[in-house]
Amino acid sequence: MLQYSLRRILGMIPMLILISFVVFSLAKMMPGDPFGGMIDPSKTDPKYIEEMRDKLGYNDPIYVQYWTWIKGVLQGDLGKSTTHKLPTLEIIKERMPNTIFLALTSLFITYVFAFILGMYAGKKPYTLGDNLIAGYNYFALAVPSFIAGIVGIYFFSFQLDWFPFSGSVEVGLEKGTWAYIQSRIHHVILPALILGLMSTAQYTQFLRNDIIENSRKDFVRTARAKGTKESKIYNVHILRNSMIPLITFLGFDLVTVIGGAIITETIFTYPGIGMLFVESVSTRDYSVMMSLTMLFSVLTLLGNLLADVLYGVADPRIRLD
Amino acid sequence: MMKKKSFLSLVSILLVLSLFLAACSGGSSSSSSSNKEGGDTKTEGAKTDKPKDGGTITYGIDGAPEGVFDFSFYQGEYDANVLQFINEGLYDYDKEIKIQPNLATWKISDDKLTYTFKLKEGVKWHNGDELTADDFKYTYETIANKDYTGPRYANVEIIKGAQEYHDGKADSIAGVQVVDPHTFKVTFKDVRVNNLDTLWAYPMPKKYYEGIAVKDLQESKKVRQEPIGVGPFKVKKVVSGEYVELERNDNYWQGKPHLDKVVVKVIDPSVAAGALKKNEIDVLSVRPADLGQINKLDNIELLEGKASIYSYIGLRFGHRDKEKGISVDDYDKFKDKKVRQALMYALNRPAMIKAFMNDKATVSNTVIPSVFWLAADSKDLNQYKYNPEKAKKLLAEAGYKDVNGDGFVEDPDGKPYKISFGHYAGPANFEGRAKAIIQAWNDIGVKTELASGSLIEFNLYNEMKENDDKSLDAFFGSWGTGYDPDPSITWGSNAEWNHGRWINKESDQLIKDSLSEKAFDDKYRKDVSVKWQKLFNEELPALPLWENVNIYAVNKRLKNVTMDPDTIILDSHKWSVTE
Repeated sequence: MLQYSLRRILGMIPMLILISFVVFSLAKMMPGDPFGGMIDPSKTDPKYIEEMRDKLGYNDPIYVQYWTWIKGVLQGDLGKSTTHKLPTLEIIKERMPNTIFLALTSLFITYVFAFILGMYAGKKPYTLGDNLIAGYNYFALAVPSFIAGIVGIYFFSFQLDWFPFSGSVEVGLEKGTWAYIQSRIHHVILPALILGLMSTAQYTQFLRNDIIENSRKDFVRTARAKGTKESKIYNVHILRNSMIPLITFLGFDLVTVIGGAIITETIFTYPGIGMLFVESVSTRDYSVMMSLTMLFSVLTLLGNLLADVLYGVADPRIRLD
Repeated sequence: MMKKKSFLSLVSILLVLSLFLAACSGGSSSSSSSNKEGGDTKTEGAKTDKPKDGGTITYGIDGAPEGVFDFSFYQGEYDANVLQFINEGLYDYDKEIKIQPNLATWKISDDKLTYTFKLKEGVKWHNGDELTADDFKYTYETIANKDYTGPRYANVEIIKGAQEYHDGKADSIAGVQVVDPHTFKVTFKDVRVNNLDTLWAYPMPKKYYEGIAVKDLQESKKVRQEPIGVGPFKVKKVVSGEYVELERNDNYWQGKPHLDKVVVKVIDPSVAAGALKKNEIDVLSVRPADLGQINKLDNIELLEGKASIYSYIGLRFGHRDKEKGISVDDYDKFKDKKVRQALMYALNRPAMIKAFMNDKATVSNTVIPSVFWLAADSKDLNQYKYNPEKAKKLLAEAGYKDVNGDGFVEDPDGKPYKISFGHYAGPANFEGRAKAIIQAWNDIGVKTELASGSLIEFNLYNEMKENDDKSLDAFFGSWGTGYDPDPSITWGSNAEWNHGRWINKESDQLIKDSLSEKAFDDKYRKDVSVKWQKLFNEELPALPLWENVNIYAVNKRLKNVTMDPDTIILDSHKWSVTE
């Protein structure tokens, strides 16, 4: 397996080089640069803008710019954010904990709900309950997350006053205190619920279909013939087998955890990676934008590898070599 | 199986990239947020003679500050919102945007080159240090330093010897002299009436920044996390991307502020109305598009101030020779003054303001916003009232007639005449207003089409203007003039931001006169300014449309709030809350 992983990791290198080309050229192809939207005769000076463009190398030939960028990235220097005037790495590190916290909470919610709904639907397929769950799944898939976010805020924050509508923590609390931790949890629940409940669909349906399929298999019939309790058949024999395909999702979840939720974070003013990414695109903050896109790509590749390796671990029938 | 996986990963990368593209298109709406539009003005909120001490208010901003909390380095408007609470300048402006003393008073030498500033005594930085002339010397030397990373050098370059210091040929700026701890002299390179407006006014704390190299200042903790100033509120806590908590500065030189705390908090515009209704936000700058919902809230009062922002339709006269830095006059479509005037008469501006701007803007016929004392009286200017008949007559006089009977005019040589009009993308009302302009011109027989077929993404649009894209014969634009209405930077013949490339010697001469030594006489300065505006009004190198209005929603519990054209954060030490 080690050999297999190494082979896969080596295989990623050409892929990453290609991705870096695409990321870089797409970023540069976007019209404008960080100074385009800044023209304001009362505050800026055309000379300053020209000077900065020169200093940042925007006037160099494109291959020189690419080389400068990629050389920096390889040496661990992701460049400096033109918006925040700070090293990109520092900003990403600052936002990362918020995003991970939100993503883990929402993933937890997703898994819990998906398991409950999926197992119920798989056990009793084609009943009213199953159809309702399917209906909910399609509904959740269809509703765009910004609508879900705003409706959630309207009901739970403005009408019922249960949760705060913005930010990641109450104003003025000191880090590390109990009140701070409580406030963090209070602030994360609503966005996490919105994110979590809206993305249960694929997990639920996947689990349901697999349970139905497995319940028709020979080993289930054998278990039934032996007189094993129905609940044990489902909760132990079938579930264990049906979970294997779900492992595929784990790989993708890795990206979700780090990549943040672009729209939900923005609506809830929850300063994480997703909000940073949107900001960086609209202000043409190249170094942040490209670093994040590269990060997402690397994570996707790693996530895939992880999923494949986990497959091998979970299911001895699959052999990696 | 493994093959399928690598295909999947490719798909997922594509997804990430498509997300990236989706985000691009989302960016335009925030870029155009500077386009605030509005009507009648109510600049003062509820008053109280017996302000109560205490209380916290929340000042909402609809985007995250960049986190650079020193005037000398900041760029974003959200950072400015925080800075206006914590620091102040040598001078500020009255309601007519005339300069007035603030931290200092000044005397001008007879040759108009040297200004002697006398700082108020007893003004203290938030850390207790006294504000002194050395702080200003330090500020000017920092900004002129070759390692300086901010955008303000243009505001210091005008001082004598700044260039030499910048180039490393001098140890100090010759034109800045500290006389005593509260007095300093600034000598300028040239006599210009707006030297003072241009001169950098905001001090940096020399002692507090001691030991930090100029190139590291912008990134330093003291600028980003623990900034200080001399203003009514001091920074207690900065939480990046979320809020800045400010507390009362008991030693504020104009008296102790009434409020205990001000929280500057980031909120998403989509929840603004709800947050205002719930009293979660006390002050918020509002776009006219959102007015509908906010108008109905009874706990909210709307304040409006004439903005120093105007919108216009630019017309192309040539292109810019970037090498030489000059405009070249080589585009004949709008050469005839009568055509330009006809295009202006064709526009029903009051109707457009009503339809697309919630009636929150005022018709304008000049490019010096009326809030300035330098603005021409409207009776001195041709009002260009909507008159399609006159427009058609003017076209005919200029020789633009419909020769081939297609309903549209041909140029005097009988060749087809067509205008390609560009507008940038943004809120929903932009589409309507672009169509209205096109329709108005088609109605007088001038064939007009929307450049590139749809509204253009804002960044791309700016790039096209900068590069004199041929598809923009005419283009919609907006300028904010800030506190200095000097038109040279946007309408001077060779100015980079004179996007229509209008070349006019008379205009250049008038602009020059308006900044000359003689202009130190206010009457002369105004006369020349009015003369220039009359010229602009007659020549119409661009079609002025309307002036915008800044609108703020203010919770009724907050008292003694006033606004000037640009900001509501004015005398915030006088603000108080009722309960």
